[in-house]
Amino acid sequence: MQVKYIIASMLLTVSLSLTVNAQEKKQTQPGGYHGELDFVMSWKHYYSYNDWTKIMHDMQKKYPNLASIESIGKSRMGKDQYLLTITAKKTGMDTEKPAMWVDGAIHGNEVNGIMCSLYTAWYLLTRYDYDPYVFEMLNKTTFYILPGLNVDANESYVKFPNTENNPREPYRPEDNDGDGLYDEDQTEDVDGDGELTTMYKEDPNGMFKLSIDGRRFEMITDKAEKVMRFNRIGSEGFDNDGDGSINEDDLGGPDPNRNFPSDWNLQAGNPYPMSESETRNVFEFQLAHPNIFASFHFHNTGRLIMFSRPPQARDNRTPEQVAQAKTRFDQQLAERRKENKYAQAFDYQVQKGYETDMETQTKIVEMGARILKNYRPTPSGGQGQAQASSYEMLGNYAYLIELWGSPVFAADKNDDGRITEEEYVEFVDIELNGEGWINPYQFNHPDLGEIWMGGSLKKHIGRTPPARYIEMEAEKNAQFVMYCASQFPKVEIESIEVTPAVHNLLWVDVIVKNDKVYPTVSDRTIKLGDYVKDKIFFNSSGNIELLEITDESTTIPTNTSSAKAKSSGTKETEFLLGGEDSLRIRYLVKTNGADGWIEFNTESVNGGKDKKRIEIDSM
Amino acid sequence: MNLFFANKKTICLTFGLLIMSGFGVNAYSQKVPIDFNSFHGYTKTQTYLKDVAKKYPNITQLVEIGRSNFDRPINLLIISNQKTGNTIDQYVELRNMRKEGINNVPKMTSDLGKPGFWISGATHGNEYTGTEVSLYIIDKLVSGYGNDENITRLVDEQAFYICPIVNADGVYNSVEIGIPQRQNSKLKDDDKDGKMNEDGPDDLNDDGFYTQFRYKDPKGTYIMDETDPRLMIRLEKDEKTAKERWSVIREDKDNDNDGKRGEDSEFGIDMNRNFSEKWFKDEGMKGGQGDYPFSEPETRALAEFFTNHPNIYMAQFYHTSGGYTIRPCGTQSPASMHSNDVAVYDMVMGKKYLELLGEEIPKAYLYPDSISFYKEELKKTSKNKYAIQRGYEFTHGWTTSYDEIVDKNIQFGFQSDWAFMQWGVYATTTELWNIRKDIKDIPEFTGEDAYLKTQRAVLKYQDEKFGGKLFIPWEKYKHPELGDGEIGGWIPMYGSNNAFPGQPLIDVCETHWQFELFRAQLMPKVVIKEASAKVLYSATAAEAEAMMKDNKVNIKKGNSIGNYKIVEVTATIENMGKLATQRANGEQLPLNREDVVWLIGDRDKVTFLQGDAYQKLGVIQGKLKIPGYKPIPPRDASQQRGFYGMPAPKEPRGEEPEKKEMGSTREVKWLVAVEDNSPLQIVVSSQKGGTQVKSLTIK
Repeated sequence: MQVKYIIASMLLTVSLSLTVNAQEKKQTQPGGYHGELDFVMSWKHYYSYNDWTKIMHDMQKKYPNLASIESIGKSRMGKDQYLLTITAKKTGMDTEKPAMWVDGAIHGNEVNGIMCSLYTAWYLLTRYDYDPYVFEMLNKTTFYILPGLNVDANESYVKFPNTENNPREPYRPEDNDGDGLYDEDQTEDVDGDGELTTMYKEDPNGMFKLSIDGRRFEMITDKAEKVMRFNRIGSEGFDNDGDGSINEDDLGGPDPNRNFPSDWNLQAGNPYPMSESETRNVFEFQLAHPNIFASFHFHNTGRLIMFSRPPQARDNRTPEQVAQAKTRFDQQLAERRKENKYAQAFDYQVQKGYETDMETQTKIVEMGARILKNYRPTPSGGQGQAQASSYEMLGNYAYLIELWGSPVFAADKNDDGRITEEEYVEFVDIELNGEGWINPYQFNHPDLGEIWMGGSLKKHIGRTPPARYIEMEAEKNAQFVMYCASQFPKVEIESIEVTPAVHNLLWVDVIVKNDKVYPTVSDRTIKLGDYVKDKIFFNSSGNIELLEITDESTTIPTNTSSAKAKSSGTKETEFLLGGEDSLRIRYLVKTNGADGWIEFNTESVNGGKDKKRIEIDSM
Repeated sequence: MNLFFANKKTICLTFGLLIMSGFGVNAYSQKVPIDFNSFHGYTKTQTYLKDVAKKYPNITQLVEIGRSNFDRPINLLIISNQKTGNTIDQYVELRNMRKEGINNVPKMTSDLGKPGFWISGATHGNEYTGTEVSLYIIDKLVSGYGNDENITRLVDEQAFYICPIVNADGVYNSVEIGIPQRQNSKLKDDDKDGKMNEDGPDDLNDDGFYTQFRYKDPKGTYIMDETDPRLMIRLEKDEKTAKERWSVIREDKDNDNDGKRGEDSEFGIDMNRNFSEKWFKDEGMKGGQGDYPFSEPETRALAEFFTNHPNIYMAQFYHTSGGYTIRPCGTQSPASMHSNDVAVYDMVMGKKYLELLGEEIPKAYLYPDSISFYKEELKKTSKNKYAIQRGYEFTHGWTTSYDEIVDKNIQFGFQSDWAFMQWGVYATTTELWNIRKDIKDIPEFTGEDAYLKTQRAVLKYQDEKFGGKLFIPWEKYKHPELGDGEIGGWIPMYGSNNAFPGQPLIDVCETHWQFELFRAQLMPKVVIKEASAKVLYSATAAEAEAMMKDNKVNIKKGNSIGNYKIVEVTATIENMGKLATQRANGEQLPLNREDVVWLIGDRDKVTFLQGDAYQKLGVIQGKLKIPGYKPIPPRDASQQRGFYGMPAPKEPRGEEPEKKEMGSTREVKWLVAVEDNSPLQIVVSSQKGGTQVKSLTIK
């Protein structure tokens, strides 16, 4: 008996994750309204802790269907570390969706990160009702946003006179100078003018002189020059403990971004891994939220996209081989950059089993270079850093962004790639209207006598951008975060193909795909071992029976784009998809010739769910 | 089932008469009596600590250093004279501090100005012999204070930090409930069924004890001992037998009907694998236990206490069993240890420990002058390259946990290695109790069945000395899943892991008290031996700009503003203790420092002409001559530790002649201009060697 089949058109092609959302968002115009006036706030201002945490609470009140707020713990001095969880609640709980973690200002002075994190939250919340890109993203993704991590130091940096470099660490007392006392000699605003500048003292053996215009102290190059000489004392401050030194035991302990467990070392990350409540609260949250898939950590400064690198392979090549490979690598990259100036490649050999991670990260940061323009991607890792632990211990794709940077384009007049102090002052005068420089002046210091102060930058210029540039940095960085979230894996059933075999047997080929850049599971997660594979479930009408087949018994056609193929004889089949990857899975079924159907369901922890059904009519 | 609501009968064992006849534990009167006829467990230990703190308020202080997963306080007793001890922050006046008023630095407590000795027990919950030894030491110290001259001096000059129970939940479950629990009680879903701790051991016959269930089983791996049928003998792998086979399991059933018994108990993680020393394996993969180093509240409590007590010099972490002490380093190659520390550990502490145990002492410890001879001998006989380098093999009683033959570390995240490597503390882990050696009445068996013979002898010993109350006779029981069998066996609390209460336990306590007493007397003690303030010249303010050059004072004449004296201050600082103020290179660890000496005076009236207010003294050596120990020359200033965001130290503190000294004394000198006989004080502050103060009379 010969049975003829008509392959019915696919009846159900709805992705489960979207079924609850009835309405699709209309495409808006670039010049149109996107909800930005629904929650009005200025992005040209650094907020104090009280202010920015109030903004977070206000955001949550305004967008209760999208945002939740919680404190993940308290800092050493008892401040709450507030976190916004942003996702469309109607499409499921935050923990059920793959998530992006965003934090800022782990270094207390790098408060630019607070603004970028907050901006990302604001952008997502205000746009959800207007922008289909954001709408779809929040329907299937969660964002955990902790604008300021190191809240004690964050608050001090914004509210009190400081240099651009401090306070940087959590307030763990530390004896920096080994005199037996802790944090006893910090910087102070000696003259009470609200600025923390640099102190110089007249000294016949000094290495500095006043510039001709009287605005700077410059290094003396001519040793014989007869001029009033100055010695640089350092940042503004008193000799608090009377030991003859100034500011030698500043506030705070070890570097919080060396306090995370992965590749932790005592020298940089003391006293012990996760010793600070500020860092531990973050890591504990991440541990408790395995749905986090990728993370962003905002720092200042240098305009870098540092991605967590996979473990490096042992290099057994000779120096000549290394040099040759380098030349070849440079040539290939130069060739690619003729087509695409943002093209990225890294002369970095990963260990076996980490190829997908390296490839994925390269693709992602290439797009980062495009979105962020003059930012430079670079591999990073180890040393107890937050982003390193995020990748190495939790398997999340992680990025440390060094925001802002010396205003190279604006200030480097002679285009030699670096900015002299003269160029800096000119930049301040012309482009910041003089705001940002402290001219030298004399002052009678209680410990040092007659001194000069000034000839240096104010804070919020070198390390963190002047407030007028906050939005510029924030906007493009939010775009990059969202780009990454948009590339979280999405497992879809591309097609089901049925072809007659012999007698009443049919081949059923189902192609599953992930069009996104990220794989469904990172290589690191696979190495760490605690993960769930993607699954596809076979189901059929009673008259269709799934048969067991072995790989040897069948040759799978490779006439599609999919290079990968496997066969299955079980109702539940496990697989994994890389980024921009697909897989053909072949089944063999037996039918009695009556009308019937076959249905496939996919389940992927990070790639969501999909379902497709095919009707098989007899004739 | 919930272990907290288990219907537990009180264990009443009365064997006091048998053991305790006429024996007094302590020679001095105790304000808080204590006996060692049963284990204190968690609850009674806390009561004891509180009572001691109440009765001895002048020399003790009870501190809760953290809480367990189940919110049980982890209590620590500080034993140190509360009225003695100086800290540097009492003397240095700070002025013009930041206007923000950040108050992140707590005031130092007096114990921080004394060398500290950490002693803890029961990091593993089922190893509570360490708790008993800790309590014994507490009793010796507090009741000896004021009675024994030596103990009085130690309690005045040193600080003992004694934490009898680190693993509060584990000890509670092991002793109070009766389920031996090595791990802490970190909440985890072992079988990943969405429920926590739903299937632990069970007291099936409701007799108050969690013992064993034995049943006939053709696939079993046990046979019954013919001599003493109470004993079950485990067969070797693939061993054939004509006798009836049995299976022996924990007293347990399947509480959640998932086909498995005891697969999700309250057991958490092994905390002695949760410390940060070599927690990771290669490639950043987990080697230790827990989600990350110090993930557990109990281990973090220890880390935080060590952080806030950088004066800790010596440490003991009691475990069981085996009857030996392991010194660092188990987690990494012996090459990571400086030869000076090897000498301090083996030649000083190891030698004493083996003496106390009455075990054989390596010849090299006894005759260190002949060490090159022993090295040659070992080259012929030993496969252990490290032993050949040292000149001796370790013995049973004093060893490391590193596998020196294979040259491989076995452990990750080990606490005593952490204390030694990261804090520079002379830490040890003592595995208390060796059933074969520590019960004098049991002969030492040899031969193939020595183990079995010992087992029989121990069981018999228990029959005779404890009236058989430590072993539950087997009784018929029908298991809901396994059918007919018998319940019985050793009460887990008295299994081989812990010392038998009474005399065997007291003997273990006494030996180890003697060892720690010996170690306390090794600790450094930095004193200001001599100090003088000599007036060189009376001057005016302008003249106070005098400088001392080439050991000669040059004084400029000028206009008079006020009356000054140019004073030369000299002092001799000495370490009267046996060991140096830091272990080898210990001062280079990020959280440690060199010894310093401050000259304190009214800042408005004292001007430093030569020498800053404080001078660094390097590490001051101890008095004990130790074979193989060579003081390390001080580093030059360029190698000194810098710190983030600050320039490197501007100059070496404490100028050359003092700095270069390596012995146990330091001469220091200042030249100051003093107005109106304003008083001067010298404060020497050694991180681990104590803080001492001397007021100067200007002559």
